[in-house]
Amino acid sequence: MSDHNDVHLEPTPGERFSKFLKRGDIRETLAWAAFYTAVFVVLGAYFYPKWMPTVMSTDMKAIERLMVVFTFISAPVCGFVMSIFTQTLRHRHKGDTPPPDGPMIRNNRLGVAVFSGVASLLTLTAVIYGLIELNSSAEAATKDAPNALVVEVTGNQWVWSFNYPSLGVESNMLNLPIDRPVIFRITSADVNHSFWPVQLGVKADANHLATTLAQTTPTKLGTIDVKCAELCGLYHAYMETSGEVMTVSDFNNWVTAQGGHSA
Amino acid sequence: MTTLSQQVSNRPIPNPKKSLITRLNMGTGLIVGIAFALATYYSMQTTLDDATLNFQRNNQVLLATMFMWSIGFLVGIGAFIGPFRWLIGKDLTAEEQLYLAGDGQGIKRYFKYCTDHKVVGIQYLWGVIAMLAVGGSMAMMIRTQLAQPGAKFITPSIYNSLVGLHGITMIVAMIIVATGPFGNFIMPIMIGAADMAFPRLNALSWWVLFTAIPVLCSAWFLGGIPTGWTAYAPLSVQAGPGMNAFIATIIIFAVSTAVAGANITATVISMRAKGMTWNRVPIFVIGATISVALAVPAFPTFMVAMIQTAMDRTFLTGFFDSNVGGSGWLYAHLFWIMGHPEVYVILLPGVAILMEIVPVFVRKPLFSYTAAVVGFAGIAGLSVLVWAHHMYMSGWLPMLNGPFMVTTEMISIPTGLIFLVILGTLWNGKPWLKVPMLGVYAFLWNMLIGGITGLYLSDVPADNYLHGSMYVTAHFHYTLMGAALTGAVAGLSYWYPKMTGRMLNERAGYISFWFVQIGFQILYLGMFIAGAEGQPRRVSDYAQMYANSNRISTFGAYLIGTGFIVLLWAVIHSWRNGVIAPMNPWGAKTLEWTVPYPVPLVNFDTPPVVTSDPYGYGKAVK
Ligand SMILES: [Cu+2]
Ligand SMILES: [Cu+2]
Repeated sequence: MSDHNDVHLEPTPGERFSKFLKRGDIRETLAWAAFYTAVFVVLGAYFYPKWMPTVMSTDMKAIERLMVVFTFISAPVCGFVMSIFTQTLRHRHKGDTPPPDGPMIRNNRLGVAVFSGVASLLTLTAVIYGLIELNSSAEAATKDAPNALVVEVTGNQWVWSFNYPSLGVESNMLNLPIDRPVIFRITSADVNHSFWPVQLGVKADANHLATTLAQTTPTKLGTIDVKCAELCGLYHAYMETSGEVMTVSDFNNWVTAQGGHSA
Repeated sequence: MTTLSQQVSNRPIPNPKKSLITRLNMGTGLIVGIAFALATYYSMQTTLDDATLNFQRNNQVLLATMFMWSIGFLVGIGAFIGPFRWLIGKDLTAEEQLYLAGDGQGIKRYFKYCTDHKVVGIQYLWGVIAMLAVGGSMAMMIRTQLAQPGAKFITPSIYNSLVGLHGITMIVAMIIVATGPFGNFIMPIMIGAADMAFPRLNALSWWVLFTAIPVLCSAWFLGGIPTGWTAYAPLSVQAGPGMNAFIATIIIFAVSTAVAGANITATVISMRAKGMTWNRVPIFVIGATISVALAVPAFPTFMVAMIQTAMDRTFLTGFFDSNVGGSGWLYAHLFWIMGHPEVYVILLPGVAILMEIVPVFVRKPLFSYTAAVVGFAGIAGLSVLVWAHHMYMSGWLPMLNGPFMVTTEMISIPTGLIFLVILGTLWNGKPWLKVPMLGVYAFLWNMLIGGITGLYLSDVPADNYLHGSMYVTAHFHYTLMGAALTGAVAGLSYWYPKMTGRMLNERAGYISFWFVQIGFQILYLGMFIAGAEGQPRRVSDYAQMYANSNRISTFGAYLIGTGFIVLLWAVIHSWRNGVIAPMNPWGAKTLEWTVPYPVPLVNFDTPPVVTSDPYGYGKAVK
């Protein structure tokens, strides 16, 4: 570049990019973006496991993981938005007259393309991850079906009842043996309800004259809260019961005490 | 509208001949409406012994009464005079049309069948404020009941009714919150038109909507509704008499939105000023038009679903009631085919208002107009393909959950463009943080949270846990209230000077903003936690373990309530006592700021000619 008669050379894309990265406003944006991304990653990893109830089934485990992973996937987006949010607020105009004119930037094709590309990629990641989870839970269901315990669940304004056809037991408590796959066959005696054993990460509507299926495997001993997740009239709020994931021997004792026969 | 503008310039001396149309107003509407309702009610009353027949008969009588009230009111206010006169071959004279436009009638025209779009805009504004106030008071009662577990503030029956009526009141209010006041008052001026394409239809859309308000209120006195605003069958088919009011409201409202939607769309297509090519149309107009155009196909499905529910209740047709061979899934489909597009019908105008505001307050052009249009169109296009994400757990066809998950998550991409447009406009600008501009920042945060929590909900496995929980309630309040209502409130403070001639009290605007937004974060943070902890939504009571998160939520709700009371005070107080507004207080470049207050009957003395888009702010950069 010492000779001014040289043909003017366009900077290479690499040079332009490194020059771009040296701009003060770009550096500030990137720094804030990194900061907020980290904040969202930490919040996601910390809060969902903290808020969500004890993980007591394979499905609940997948759900909690999914919430955390999705937070990670969206963290860069949050980082980018909050970065410009913060940066422009720091440069806000004070006073009662309109601010001076800003730069007349009407478009930036490269910027729009990069943004849309990254947004699409992140979305695609979320879609693919969700589809994989969906598929693996469906596969597990098919594999586990033959030796699963069948529980017939009936919603009735405003109580749940459970029938274990293979054991000859009927109950208002949802008791299950640990580590054995369970298939819920759900129906309703009246209006729509939604069967929700909270800690099992299962939910399925109970419809009149139709049967809905749901399946999971309890993996941890403890209490299950069963709720209704579809507004079903007057005492919807009170349509709840509980149950327990038990050791196999406890479960067999319970079955016997209920007058059933063990499987 | 050239004929009308010619008349104004020639200004014929109004002939005070007391013709029928000068005698009709809201009062005559009420009288005829009530007379029609009473006549219907008493002529249909019969006593039946059979309880089933009684149930059906009662529903028939109530529905007929409600529809006849609506028709009677419209007859009484003179809504059908125009079409009737046209039918008998004596179309309204120019003088009569001028009278209908409210020329020189002062405050009285707000209580008449007035065709001036500015009058309709103000009517919508107060209608919306009234609905938001009622819906908001219901929310306060709901949160009061939920302040602690085991509360006995209201009974479960009243609680369920409150949940449903709060829902439908807010949904109706939110659908019209931006397109009603601003779409009618501001939008025609923005595109340089003298009025809407169909001024009489414009008046009709408002007054039809008006007749729905007492009908909806009557639900309360008919025992309420037990179903929530989703009105799922078979619960809705078996529900008590209050359900009829809900059904009638939706049907009447659907007529109103269809009329308004067709009118706004036609206006934007055919009445733009000379030179206003499609790439020069202000972005609010684009957003509002796409929104109402989306409502035009969406709402009729809800109307059909309600007509079918009504027939199940009155004639035992059995569309949705499984007891007589119907399917609740069919109802759920019809409902959500409306229900999902409807959230974008609500969201788009609010966002578009904010896009109109950002360039003005950072003095930069709107960043990538094309991306904004593509974003709006993409959202609208995809939104009709995602409805069954509300039915993942319904058991209807689990096989299709995957495809619906994919379409739903695709909406993130056009939504991203919307963010990009706002962020790009802000980028390297120095924002002037007047009250309207604060809404932009509130939107960015709220829509971010609403969008990301929507991503979890769109995912089938995660929805297995979150569906039907408080998490869902918090999510959609972030989008509908945190984003769309914030946009509409920003629009109110932005356009208030043009609509009232005065500035909205600024201090009150700031106080209200902070109360509402801080209260909002507190309320819904608590609700997200309650949902993640496993509290179902729409419950009048809950277990002890959710006590803390609910107490936090109720506290936040009271802050919001306080904030909105301050805003309401400011709107009323500034209307009469505010600082007189200059013609263009924000230095904006859209056409509505080129007309004086009060805006002349035909808006512009000489029709404007547009030579560029309205975003030419800023210094040129190399
Ligand atoms: Cu239930
Ligand atoms: Cu949806």
